[in-house]
Amino acid sequence: MQRHDFPFRRRDILSTLAGAPLALLAAGTLRAHAQGTAASSLTYGQSTGVVTLDPAHGSYTLYPGGYEAGLCIYDGLLTFAPSMKVIPQLAQSWSMAADLRACTLKLRPGAHFHDGTPVDVAAVKFNIERLMDKQRNPTNRPLWDPVAGVDTPDATTVVIHLSQPFPQLPNSLAHASGALVSPAAVAKFGEAGIAKNPVGAGPYRVASFDPGQQLVLEAFDAYWGGKPKTARLTLKAITEPSTRVSALRTDAVQIIDSVPVALVAQLKQDSGVKIIAVPGLRPIGFVINLARPQLADVRVRRALNLAVPVETIASKVFFGYARAPDSPLAFNTEGYAPVSKLVYDPAKAKALLAEAGFGPAKPLELAMFFSQGLFPGDVSVGEVVANSLTQVGVKVAITKIEAGSYWDAMRQDRANLKWDIAMFGFNPANASGLYHLASLFQSNADDAARPDVWNLGRYRNPEVDRLLAAAGTEADRAQAAADLAKAQALIWNDAPYIWLQINENVTAVRKNVTGVEVWPSLFTNVRHAAV
Amino acid sequence: MLRLLAWRLLLIPPTVLGVVTILFLIFKAVPGDEATMVAGATATQAEIDVVRHQLGLDRPLLVQYASHVAGLLHGDLGYSSTFRGNPLPHILERAPATLLLTVSAIALTVLIGIPGGILAASFQHRWPDLAVSGGVVALLAVPNFWLGMMLIALLSVRLGWLPSLGLTGPASLLMPTLALAARLIALVARLMRGMVIEERHKDYVRTAYAKGLTVGRIMYRHVLRNALIPIVTVVGLQTGYLLGGSVVVERLFDWPGVGDLLLTAVGLRDYTLVQGITVLFVIGFLLINLVVEALYRLINPRLR
Repeated sequence: MQRHDFPFRRRDILSTLAGAPLALLAAGTLRAHAQGTAASSLTYGQSTGVVTLDPAHGSYTLYPGGYEAGLCIYDGLLTFAPSMKVIPQLAQSWSMAADLRACTLKLRPGAHFHDGTPVDVAAVKFNIERLMDKQRNPTNRPLWDPVAGVDTPDATTVVIHLSQPFPQLPNSLAHASGALVSPAAVAKFGEAGIAKNPVGAGPYRVASFDPGQQLVLEAFDAYWGGKPKTARLTLKAITEPSTRVSALRTDAVQIIDSVPVALVAQLKQDSGVKIIAVPGLRPIGFVINLARPQLADVRVRRALNLAVPVETIASKVFFGYARAPDSPLAFNTEGYAPVSKLVYDPAKAKALLAEAGFGPAKPLELAMFFSQGLFPGDVSVGEVVANSLTQVGVKVAITKIEAGSYWDAMRQDRANLKWDIAMFGFNPANASGLYHLASLFQSNADDAARPDVWNLGRYRNPEVDRLLAAAGTEADRAQAAADLAKAQALIWNDAPYIWLQINENVTAVRKNVTGVEVWPSLFTNVRHAAV
Repeated sequence: MLRLLAWRLLLIPPTVLGVVTILFLIFKAVPGDEATMVAGATATQAEIDVVRHQLGLDRPLLVQYASHVAGLLHGDLGYSSTFRGNPLPHILERAPATLLLTVSAIALTVLIGIPGGILAASFQHRWPDLAVSGGVVALLAVPNFWLGMMLIALLSVRLGWLPSLGLTGPASLLMPTLALAARLIALVARLMRGMVIEERHKDYVRTAYAKGLTVGRIMYRHVLRNALIPIVTVVGLQTGYLLGGSVVVERLFDWPGVGDLLLTAVGLRDYTLVQGITVLFVIGFLLINLVVEALYRLINPRLR
């Protein structure tokens, strides 16, 4: 490791020690330390540190900080617009084959990696094969498993072959982990070395990297899209939310992510700051265990939904920085089609429960699980829901589970499921609605075993299965979207969840900062940020 | 005295081994499977099993323990999922910042606590005493996290005098040091006040006055010396508390130290990293105790 990689130098510590008493007297004159940055440099205070920067080998860490750094250093063939629409990047255009088993991409000429080597078809082939390889790329498998091989028929054309119809391939290529690394750099630093020595074709190259603490980037002059406006971009880990907020208010950093909703009001009063809030892709709710006979009755599940005041949760728990869903998919997911608004009607909930045979004499009893510190405001939301269910006569037994062991409790085989309802939310990082629905609502191969993906409640609707299969193979994408919309309506009306809220991703910047994008997929993209 | 210190030094390795063993057992017993953490939330059972095998977590517990201890002897803390390998260099890289914060907190304690106590004792029941005693109560009652937040809100956000985060120079050391040392300053001031008041009425002080010594000389040569022994005890014992407090204070001030890393490791459930840092904290604590023991013997001839 080079000397400048250290978070601080011995000299700093010595001078700090020597200067401490002086500083007591001269604190006022050292104001410059707290403020002042050169015009073309920006610092982004991230809620998570950047530790590894390889799209393969476990991908970028930590999440989401590592991904955000990846978005600055790397370009991919495709990328996302802030609306999560797939748009071209190093590929100028792409087209899926009619059978959805191949994708042809035209490469942009004249792009180079930071080490000067060209982004050519050989480099693309090298990267796709690296991402396909389960040994070298064990994470993000649903994005890459269907890829069977890569052909390069001429100097600007890449054909990606698929082992099955896979309409989401463009979403995979646009995902941050679909980034292209320099093959020469992989040869130089080794497969494991890229994570700490990233060389991409993005607008910023690495100036210095101190994993977990600070990543300093500098503008890449030869970037194909033109040299970025900001000469020096620093990504600094500031884990404590209130510390991030003070750092922004003192202009020590110009961008912060993950602003706690409780602190937004205070931050809004600062005239030097503006808030950017965008709804995420993760609808949170309580998954209902359909293996329980009392919950197999759809009237009961609808009653549970009617009993919860979702608007109150959005406005009181999340101070308005959340919205109730109107479909199993979040608003910015590809293929999202609204079904119907959630209604809060406890009287009707009671009536439905009575119809299903539950009342004061024989109350519905539910074991409710939720996490502590895994989902936004999970404990508060859980308590509101439990209280609302009690109001309509349901007897609720709460189990709070520490975040570390929550997944264990969730993903059990059927005989070991201890919950009747459990908090859950899925974030489709590639923004594909088909991927989202298939992960959560496609029938499990064996409901008695552990769920195949995230169908935790053992939901089973043959028509939904058929529609999802059709949407995944249909050449006519308009028809596929119609299938997906139908599937959303069926699932919504089957109510396999108590649907609650879609949280907004809240980022804050200094007033003079432009170009910061907050993606629904949780990333604050600062690659276009400028003062 | 040297023989005794050598004996104490020899006791450190078995103590550390005991701590390592207890930590190992605790982290095997806590809920939450390590392989699941490393593999990630979306991993399939097959992928988790591969990771479990790669990390050697499918071996018998005794074998895992033996290889864990053998690794520690070679400076290998094990596989940290955060750093994808042995986290020791990353921990050691952050150690100087924690050391700096701890040492400066002790220095500030001595600089403020001892004179504060003497001042209060000298003006017993008059306004300087009331001011110091009030300050003591306030500092003992306020959690360091809250004090730190208030300092940031006032000195950084409102007045813009001090940087609110990081280790960027002498000025950046002030607020974290104060937040960390607050409780210890109060303890030392209270103790010092009590000691001075007690000693002041003893015979040897009256004798010293009778010899015609100045108040300053009596205080410095006689009273302070006798009061110092309990002060060293308290400061020594409380240094362990400072290590614990540094976790919270470092997080609040984004201080690049080991305590902040420990909180991150806990958040990420990186058990290897948590164990490694805890062991290093324990070693640090034992070494501090050793130093206190030596200081004791230096200032108290009766123990030599």
